[in-house]
Amino acid sequence: MVWKKTDEAPHPEPAPAMPRVATAPPAEPMRRPDRPSATIGPSIFIKGDLTGDEDLVIEGRVEGRVDLKKNNVTVGKNGRVRADVFGKSVIIEGEVDGNLFAQEQAILRQSGAVRGNITAPRVILEDGSRFRGSIDMDAKEPAKGSGAAGSGATAGGGASAASSPAAVPAGARAEAALAELGRPAPASQAALPARHNS
Amino acid sequence: MSWFSSRAPQLPNSLAGAGSAPKAGAALATLEPGEEPEVHSSLALATLFREVGPLGKLQVLDLGPAVGSNVEFLSQFGCKLYIEDLYAALAAHRRQEDRQGVSAAPFAELLPFPESARFDAVFAWDLFNYLSRKELAGLAHYLKPFCRPGALVFALVSILKQMPAAPIRFKILDRERLVYERQTAEESPCPRYPPAELADLMKGFRLDRSFLLRHGIQENLFTRLAD
Repeated sequence: MVWKKTDEAPHPEPAPAMPRVATAPPAEPMRRPDRPSATIGPSIFIKGDLTGDEDLVIEGRVEGRVDLKKNNVTVGKNGRVRADVFGKSVIIEGEVDGNLFAQEQAILRQSGAVRGNITAPRVILEDGSRFRGSIDMDAKEPAKGSGAAGSGATAGGGASAASSPAAVPAGARAEAALAELGRPAPASQAALPARHNS
Repeated sequence: MSWFSSRAPQLPNSLAGAGSAPKAGAALATLEPGEEPEVHSSLALATLFREVGPLGKLQVLDLGPAVGSNVEFLSQFGCKLYIEDLYAALAAHRRQEDRQGVSAAPFAELLPFPESARFDAVFAWDLFNYLSRKELAGLAHYLKPFCRPGALVFALVSILKQMPAAPIRFKILDRERLVYERQTAEESPCPRYPPAELADLMKGFRLDRSFLLRHGIQENLFTRLAD
């Protein structure tokens, strides 16, 4: 069988440098063109509560409260938010001083900085991101009402156990980490059982 | 509106207990492509997870910088994880102290935990190397009420004459291994706290286990004593 060169799949672009130790797999891109979304531009400053029914990208400044529990919220690289943020998925590329409540996942990108508490079933901190506060990944109860900052209000229930890092055996994660380090996993690598919290 | 200090804070002059400040313009010891990071076995880490792992939902304090893979690893315990980079916070405090003459480290400001915080495990990593005796004693005094009786404090202390001028970034590879990532090529003198002195400074805690590793790191596990 002769393979035609033209049949070969094009070579992908070289992958960007990755952290040397495995982290969670990259999440889906949030800015989906098929979903309505709004953008707060870099020159906009909003003080007060933000609610709505579409995805939101914040590139400007917001102080108050961002409440889009059914939608995705992205704080862009230029975004400066001093507010509690509620969303289905919350992605931070800029700076947030406030608590994050995500129904599915919270992602702190490399350029992101958060000072506050994160409550989400799945939390991803990319290498280089800055974070001070607490992370609670045991969020199972759906959010009720409008929890105030630090009130312990939780968001969650949206993510299945299979999508949670907690559901991935630690042994498998260690093997993935070793693979990134260019080392084979030792045969004696003890696989840890996945733990599910009651 | 930037409330974070730089990602690789320089060691302030008065921060290290016995270490001198790094030279200006300290180069970051970034890994070259193909260069392998240091991976070391950790007997204390294995002991810690063996003891606190079965406790159920844990409250964990990480006194180092936020590291994504550590968050991911600890998520298997259903942790409530507090992350406070005390070295960076102290560095910022020291800069303010130099300008305004602020007094000794105000741990209540630097580590603002809620009243309900009760830690089962504290990861101090190699922070103790960069604290003065007074700061170490102050930290232990401040942490004690936030730790449950029996809580474990994981601390690595260098016994070598020189140490990196800034704390190492540690990544948990698995229950028994750590990846060491140096953040600077600069070195400074190491205080080389002996276990007996550490035990004396950590009032309210007992130095339960100490493991001396071949690469010059002494791993210590302190247990919070009952009131």
